[in-house]
Amino acid sequence: MDSSHAASAADHTPVESHATVQTYVRVAVVLGLLTAIEIGALYVKGIPSHALVALLLLFSVLKFGLVVAFFMHLRYDNKLLTVLFVGPLLIAMVIILAIMALFGAYILLARG
Amino acid sequence: MAAEHAVVAHDPNIGCTGLDNRKMGMWAFLGSECMFFGSLIGTYLAYKGKSINGPGPHEILNIPLTSVSAFVLLMSSLLMVLALAAVQRDDMRWGKIWLFMTALFGAGFVGFQCYEFTHFVHLGLTLQTNLFGSTFFVLTGFHGAHVTGGVIWLLSLWVLALRGRLGAQDSLKVEICGLYWHFVDIVWIAIFTLIYLIP
Repeated sequence: MDSSHAASAADHTPVESHATVQTYVRVAVVLGLLTAIEIGALYVKGIPSHALVALLLLFSVLKFGLVVAFFMHLRYDNKLLTVLFVGPLLIAMVIILAIMALFGAYILLARG
Repeated sequence: MAAEHAVVAHDPNIGCTGLDNRKMGMWAFLGSECMFFGSLIGTYLAYKGKSINGPGPHEILNIPLTSVSAFVLLMSSLLMVLALAAVQRDDMRWGKIWLFMTALFGAGFVGFQCYEFTHFVHLGLTLQTNLFGSTFFVLTGFHGAHVTGGVIWLLSLWVLALRGRLGAQDSLKVEICGLYWHFVDIVWIAIFTLIYLIP
């Protein structure tokens, strides 16, 4: 049991040496601001819909990246963990695009 | 030093990569969850705007209410890292407080979702109503179930802490729970943008 604790403590050393409570709070403030801008942008008239969608997607990706990098400590952890997560994430994005393309095309053809 | 290395080498939780197997297992699980939610999000987007009858998303979604619940879940992620930081420095008083607060914010999010689902059913949107109802309830329902599981996990850790069975030596347990919790948060970041915000 003690050996497990020693290993766990060793595993955490990089996290403690890089991310501080102040960093976490700053990241949370940025996340809150990005969310507020996203919601506020919906109520601003005159923004072209393509620009609005691009802005919302960009902010969403930024928020996603901030949480993964800082709150989930992937920025400071072993690169193997990044591969373990980003690999399936890319596959998930391909799945989303493939399903949209395949099903969208099928429905359009069925209606035509 | 040599003795210390020998101890670490015999630790059954440390694999040939030098990483803790439990942490690697959680990251692999989260990777598989990405593909799970990816397929649900893809299905929602593939059928978006293709419902024959209403109600549709523009008639029914309450963006101000969901924005509040999204903010609550986002801030629960901050509380989670504060809990981890407190446990790592063996400050169990604040560790217990932050763990409970994280669970409370998570329960708040689930409460918002229960209200939203009930409201939608009263407005005539169910799983069987149309393609929007089916894909929306399945996607957000699975996410809500994940959040509920996370709340139960957090409360379990909180009870362990209350009984004095959680300390700095167990911080990996809190870290792994935190990874899961942040994951449900980032899934909601994607769902919130793709379903609620994008017109």
